[in-house]
Amino acid sequence: MNKMLRRHVLKGIGGTTVALPFLEGLAPRSAKAAGELIPPFAIFFRQANGVACAQDTDLGAEPERFWPSAEGALTAETVAGRALEELASHLDRLLVVGGVNMQDFNYADGHARGALQLLTARGPTVEGVGGDSEAAGESIDHRIGRELNADGRDSLFLFAGMDGWLGGPCLSYRDAGQRRAAIRDPRQGYMGMMGIDEAQFGSLVARQQSVNDTVRGQMQKLMGRPQLSAADKQRLDLHFSSIRELENSLSCNFTNEQMMLLDGMSPGYESDDGDAVLEAIRAHMHVAALAVACGYTRSVAIQVSSGNDGSTRYRNLDSGELMENYHFLSHRRASHDNEGALIENGDLLHHYVDRQFAQTFSYLLDRLAEYDLPDGSNLLDCGVSVWCNDNGSGPAHSSRNVPFVIAGSAAGFLRQGTYLTLPDEINHARMLNTIGSAAGLRLTDGSNIDDFGDPSLPRSPLAELLA
Amino acid sequence: MLLAGIVAQAGCYTGLGDRNGGGGADGGADGSDAGDAGDDAGVADELPAPSTRLYRLTHAQWENTVQDLFFLPEPTGLAQDFRTDPSVGGFVFDNNASTLEVDQTLWQSYQRAAVGVAEQVTSDPALLMAVLPPDAGDPAARTQQFVQEFGLRAYRRPLDATELAELVAVFESAPPLYEGVDPFTAGVRLTIETVLQSPHFLYRIETSAEAAGDMIPLGQYELAGRLSYFLWNSMPDEELFEAAADAALADVDSLVDQASRMLADPRARGVVEHFHDQVFEVERFQNAAPSPAFYPDAPANLGDLATEEHRRFIEDVVFERDGGIVELLTSNETFVNDEVARLYGIEGTFGAEFTKVTLDPEQRGGLLTQLGFLVANSTTANPDPIHRGVFVAKRLACLNIAAPPDGVPPLPPGDGRSNRQTVEDHTEQPGSSCVGCHSTIINPFGFPFENYDSVGAWRVEDNGFPVDPKTTVNLDGDSMPIGSAVELAQALAASPTVHSCYLEHWVEYAFGRPVAPEDEAFTTRVGELSQAGSMPVKELLVALVTSNAFRNRATEELQ
Repeated sequence: MNKMLRRHVLKGIGGTTVALPFLEGLAPRSAKAAGELIPPFAIFFRQANGVACAQDTDLGAEPERFWPSAEGALTAETVAGRALEELASHLDRLLVVGGVNMQDFNYADGHARGALQLLTARGPTVEGVGGDSEAAGESIDHRIGRELNADGRDSLFLFAGMDGWLGGPCLSYRDAGQRRAAIRDPRQGYMGMMGIDEAQFGSLVARQQSVNDTVRGQMQKLMGRPQLSAADKQRLDLHFSSIRELENSLSCNFTNEQMMLLDGMSPGYESDDGDAVLEAIRAHMHVAALAVACGYTRSVAIQVSSGNDGSTRYRNLDSGELMENYHFLSHRRASHDNEGALIENGDLLHHYVDRQFAQTFSYLLDRLAEYDLPDGSNLLDCGVSVWCNDNGSGPAHSSRNVPFVIAGSAAGFLRQGTYLTLPDEINHARMLNTIGSAAGLRLTDGSNIDDFGDPSLPRSPLAELLA
Repeated sequence: MLLAGIVAQAGCYTGLGDRNGGGGADGGADGSDAGDAGDDAGVADELPAPSTRLYRLTHAQWENTVQDLFFLPEPTGLAQDFRTDPSVGGFVFDNNASTLEVDQTLWQSYQRAAVGVAEQVTSDPALLMAVLPPDAGDPAARTQQFVQEFGLRAYRRPLDATELAELVAVFESAPPLYEGVDPFTAGVRLTIETVLQSPHFLYRIETSAEAAGDMIPLGQYELAGRLSYFLWNSMPDEELFEAAADAALADVDSLVDQASRMLADPRARGVVEHFHDQVFEVERFQNAAPSPAFYPDAPANLGDLATEEHRRFIEDVVFERDGGIVELLTSNETFVNDEVARLYGIEGTFGAEFTKVTLDPEQRGGLLTQLGFLVANSTTANPDPIHRGVFVAKRLACLNIAAPPDGVPPLPPGDGRSNRQTVEDHTEQPGSSCVGCHSTIINPFGFPFENYDSVGAWRVEDNGFPVDPKTTVNLDGDSMPIGSAVELAQALAASPTVHSCYLEHWVEYAFGRPVAPEDEAFTTRVGELSQAGSMPVKELLVALVTSNAFRNRATEELQ
């Protein structure tokens, strides 16, 4: 490791150091506060189908199994018996927000309305087409990456699970109707980030420079052709901006032991076995933590399975057996469309799924917390990690009271250790503007953003959430 | 209008809507080897729709092209590491050109793949020899010849002088960049790395911009590329390149000859299989999950068995029997092994291998009565007439049915009723928001399949009641009584709407875009020919590649 790299290191998993060369221009010679060392970031972790919470359905009353028992300080007592109990070790860093309501855009499908709106705060490009819908705008994860990532680098969009309803990866949008491709194999996400190792670097860099020069020239000639449509030019622009020089990996890599861990955790990224899927998601989380630690990206979106998570079978925490697929459980019926036979204790089984998502979110927070900063804080404090959901609850798949569980204060931007319920209004776009601001997005005058999402929606940041 | 004959209920049938692929473009001038503009009698009103000029290779096309470009004995497998392209809501196929973009992740994968392929090829003397011209003792001439010949095959067109000089310069700059590699091999290696990352390799690019009448004829090499990527999912072969060089593709008869030759090649079978996999949603066959409580003897690998049957049937109909949509929808010949034979109730001795059999014509006829469609559209306990009906209406008749309203109440328990009665009671209540679509389109297309349970087996009893498969469907403007699924399949096979719809799917697949209003004249004309003469799929594909839309671009792009 060279002299520069030795100056700024984080403790990674297993106590391994991760170098931070990107801080060279920012960091003083002495240690500073976390917020000054690591720019804020946002990591989104998405669950489908709502949560198992207190509600009356046509199947009867279901007890509260998700939300804390009281507003205010989060304590072991207020989360006892709730899915949030799985986050017990992080309660002082959580901001649990109730009363987040999405706009009832005409997606003609609760999953499309939830999943496609979740990070875009937009309606559909074409109304009323259900599973054929596309969102009519950019997603917040992409905007954070586009505006804040070094060198225009794309934010990370990570996915594990099976394709299905809404075509699999559907959270991250480049623009209206333009979905982004997701990275499915965690190892591919890591490889894309690390560049190449030092042994290869010297010999490859000159060759790739030659290739890039030639290709860029060809691209520019193509882009100058007058007969290209606007859509063609847009695609070529993206291609052109994606041509990157080789980067030396020393700044951002796992040890051999960590690579073995990643190899072992990754293979289930295309599975319908909930254990395998969540293991691959945890592998993605290792990559996500490294990516924000290294300054590779300031935004990550992690999507678990398709628009309705319609084929993943999670584990019954009582019996140890794999349960019916999650979408069925969320409807409490053995059918994707409320037609099937009743699933006994469906709300409890849904709760087991919620708990496994909470455990997985906790795993992300643990990974972030393992990166120690010189001032005694850690990576988790620097940014904002968000466990969010397409719907408020199953089986109604409501657009109201959609769970947002936020961890990390983004260097003091957000409140922590609290459960609060927002006033009853359509405020989901305001939530995304709040998170975007926490991650560092600003208007040209330096104020927090209030311009993200459908312009017809209220978009000012939620003062209730600010520290 | 193609679908005008379909009875439409207010608030249910939503029409074609905005299915225009868009992509209008400005004019340009690069059509020097243009062919005919399409002057066949009877097709004058068939015009191409505006479309992209940049078709990025799908990952399958990248893999096939690299294999063919370097004469590799097998695919490299490198495309398995390419991130999956995003889907597009409502588009059936995986080749919508609007989403085939190159982002940073894919660019890095292309980078690695190019380095890997170049190393593989230049490290193997046999592979290297396959792409090099003979060594006549003049390295400079050999370099020039290699770049020219390899460049033509990689870019699927001749290089212009600037491009040739550029790649020769790349070749000559290589030796210092590779330690321990002889200079000529180093040149080849860097040239391969460069070309495999070039947009001219990664995209199939159409630059023709000279109008002839009301169309822009494609250049010969552009046409050759369309042809090979449509029929083979890969680059043109030597014979097709020669035809392009000789401007032979401008002649429709020659184009027919080439298409016929290519359809006889095994590569065409993969294309036909992939097309039908997507139209008939073979991926969903794997969702079959019959409840052990109701179907204790259901094979654990039901999805795999259904997929194998489906693919063998498609290949047999299209390539062995020269069949068309009529045979696909009505033939009672299929392929079974012991497990599938048991589900079909066939007596006899069968093993693990699939063999061809003839099923009971009263019970089975075509794809809709085979396992795949039936098991993919069933609940764990019962047949699912709603989803079976929706599939038939949308996918086979190309009806756009509005999505169901949000928060549809659950289907109540049977409570002593038949599955059909339960669905009728639930979806056909007068005045409900459901009745419009369900009573006239969805349920009539779904109820004839009530004779098939969740594992696709024949049944005559439904919860203690005799199965009632009778219905009346609205097709081609007529109300038609239907007595069984076999009768429905025969009615669909005789319907001009269904034939045109099948053509629409092929048009979308061929052009990598949603069907557009400009396509209607072609799909109607050939759909009618197909319906009237039981046109084989292979003939239909020849008709498609000789159509105006396939051989030309739209003049709107010049405006």
